[in-house]
Amino acid sequence: MATRTRRKPDAPAGTAIADRDPVLLRRIHEVMVLTRAVEDRMVAMYKGGDLLGSLYTGHWHEAISVGAASTLRTDDYMAPIHRDLGAHLWRGMEPWQVMASFMGKATSPTGGRDGTLHYGRLDLGIYNLPSHIPANFPVATGMAFASKYRGQDRVCLAFCGDGSTSRADFHESLTMASVLKLPNVFVIENNQFAYSTPLRMQSNSETFAIKAVAYGIPGVTVDGTDALAVHDAVAEGVARARAGEGPSIVEGVTMRMHGHAEHDPADYVPKDMYDEWSKKDPVELFENVLIDAGVLDGDAAKKVREDARQLAIAARRKALADPMPEPSGIEDGVYAD
Amino acid sequence: MPTDSGQATYLEAVGLALDSEMDRDPDVFIIGEDVGQFGGAFKVTKGFLEKFGARRVVDTPIAETGFTGLAAGAALVGLRPVVEFQFADFISCAFDPIINVLARHHWRTGDAMPVTMRAPFGGRLRAGPTHSQSVESYFAHVPGIKIVMPGTPEDAAGLLVSSIRDNSPTLYLENKYLYRRLRASGPLSLDPIPLGVAKVVREGRDVTLITYSAGVSQGLEVAEELDKDGISVEVVDIRTIVPLDVETIVNSVRKTSRAVVLHEAAKRLGYGAEIAATIQEEAFWDLDQPVVRIGALNTPTPTSPPLEDAVIPQPAQIAETLRKVARA
Ligand SMILES: Cc1ncc(C[n+]2csc(CCOP(=O)(O)OP(=O)(O)O)c2C)c(N)n1
Ligand SMILES: [Mg+2]
Repeated sequence: MATRTRRKPDAPAGTAIADRDPVLLRRIHEVMVLTRAVEDRMVAMYKGGDLLGSLYTGHWHEAISVGAASTLRTDDYMAPIHRDLGAHLWRGMEPWQVMASFMGKATSPTGGRDGTLHYGRLDLGIYNLPSHIPANFPVATGMAFASKYRGQDRVCLAFCGDGSTSRADFHESLTMASVLKLPNVFVIENNQFAYSTPLRMQSNSETFAIKAVAYGIPGVTVDGTDALAVHDAVAEGVARARAGEGPSIVEGVTMRMHGHAEHDPADYVPKDMYDEWSKKDPVELFENVLIDAGVLDGDAAKKVREDARQLAIAARRKALADPMPEPSGIEDGVYAD
Repeated sequence: MPTDSGQATYLEAVGLALDSEMDRDPDVFIIGEDVGQFGGAFKVTKGFLEKFGARRVVDTPIAETGFTGLAAGAALVGLRPVVEFQFADFISCAFDPIINVLARHHWRTGDAMPVTMRAPFGGRLRAGPTHSQSVESYFAHVPGIKIVMPGTPEDAAGLLVSSIRDNSPTLYLENKYLYRRLRASGPLSLDPIPLGVAKVVREGRDVTLITYSAGVSQGLEVAEELDKDGISVEVVDIRTIVPLDVETIVNSVRKTSRAVVLHEAAKRLGYGAEIAATIQEEAFWDLDQPVVRIGALNTPTPTSPPLEDAVIPQPAQIAETLRKVARA
């Protein structure tokens, strides 16, 4: 049972950039840049008092969320968490809808009934998660179960953090998915912290991918700041799942570069960690890879960034102008028709 | 496979209803521990694996959170899972997905969540503190879950059919004491019985006994006894505690002016508290007497017969209470 660790320096990229689809590469870049632009805009909105409560961002998670989501077909399912704006945007979630969610607007995916990071859209194949982490894991096994039940080859990609791996939901989902051979890929976003809790207090396991051994499934650790490394590892898991060979784990190692949420100054994080990790901005790294390979030129990259900035500004304008929800009818929908 | 002999037990009624829904709708499947080759701990799904195959009769590891959450995900994309908890006591291990995923997903998003959770519950089998619990009140407080508690084989069948067809999560609580003790009076209908409609199972003049599940047969027996003393008891079986058919309860209380609520769950914050409060809100001026609640003592359910009998409502206590309220 293959459980391995791929670290960027000693692992030459599987497929040369020149042999990859440039359209896909540019799209991954665009969505990563957009993710960063929207989150930077939302941080400003948080500081300016536009948002209801706190703001959870995924700085330095863009390579994981977009790298992973970009392996899916449009009819596949996804169960992301609070660091995965990039995965939502990849599937077509509108930036203004996400802002509306953090503002409690009528136009949010839940019409203001839920808010902040609790957004999703089943029409895009995205499960809208509750607070409890990782409650999306058992649900993701169910979406995969339904695919298998119907003889389809749809896959469900689920994400969770390092801290989430300690919960029963993680263990029971991995147990169920491996015993029932469900078409799941479980992505663990190891960002060194769970709120204030550092890795060494979260788990005595050498890696999170190594937990796969116990479930009898493949597990791999990759550089979570390298979009292609994530993409390739998840693509392998997706192909396996689609072929009916069951689930697998992909651990992406990165750093949570902001506080747990924007209210959190995160002064428990050693400063040298930030210094080290700030050299590994996944968006910048990927942009440089594409520029070096001639897939993108400097001007085009600049335009992508400027377009993303304008889109984020327009999204804010729309979300701000959108109405707040009406309390009438608040009791509707407790039960389905 | 249970066969419809016309005299189905409560347990067979559950199995027949499930079987007929699985025949009718290929999206319905059963999932739980030991439901397949073993046929379930109480044998509700005996023969199902042979008939429907392992794709639709899904044996699971001991993972209540896992398979309940799995059911939620499967329901979201169009299947209609029926989850079997081996004992209702173990539903506590799935509290989180029930409360935080199943119950509120539709209200949050508008997506249907057609999951049926079946769980054998209740006492009188000398099974002790962690195999005899009545769990309905844990869940009745939570918006978004329908709670179905049949007291007869006929209702067990028709209400399960409706539960499975419902687009909300339903908690269908099977009274395991009744499993092999009650038989249908005639051929079993597998037509749906609507959720949220109570039934006056015995007409009476002097006092209304409002109850559900095992309280129904227990209450009817006591009512027959009291009839000999000239006390006429009306028995209302509410059948589903969520939604609650307030109208049928209130109409009966208006007629008799006296009400006693009976359940096997602990009296303190048991569902009887909700019923009693509802009666005083809706029909206070029609009452001749305060509403009285009968429920278990505020202790865990003991194992040994004399101890369990001292904790769970017994016919003598029910009769005495009804007599007192009727004559006061
Ligand atoms: C069951 C549960 N307990 C506690 C919380 C509060 N909480 C939200 S996120 C979080 C930390 C999560 O850490 P991790 O899984 O590593 O994800 P990260 O936020 O680091 O991406 C905590 C404690 C929660 N949402 N759910
Ligand atoms: Mg973390």
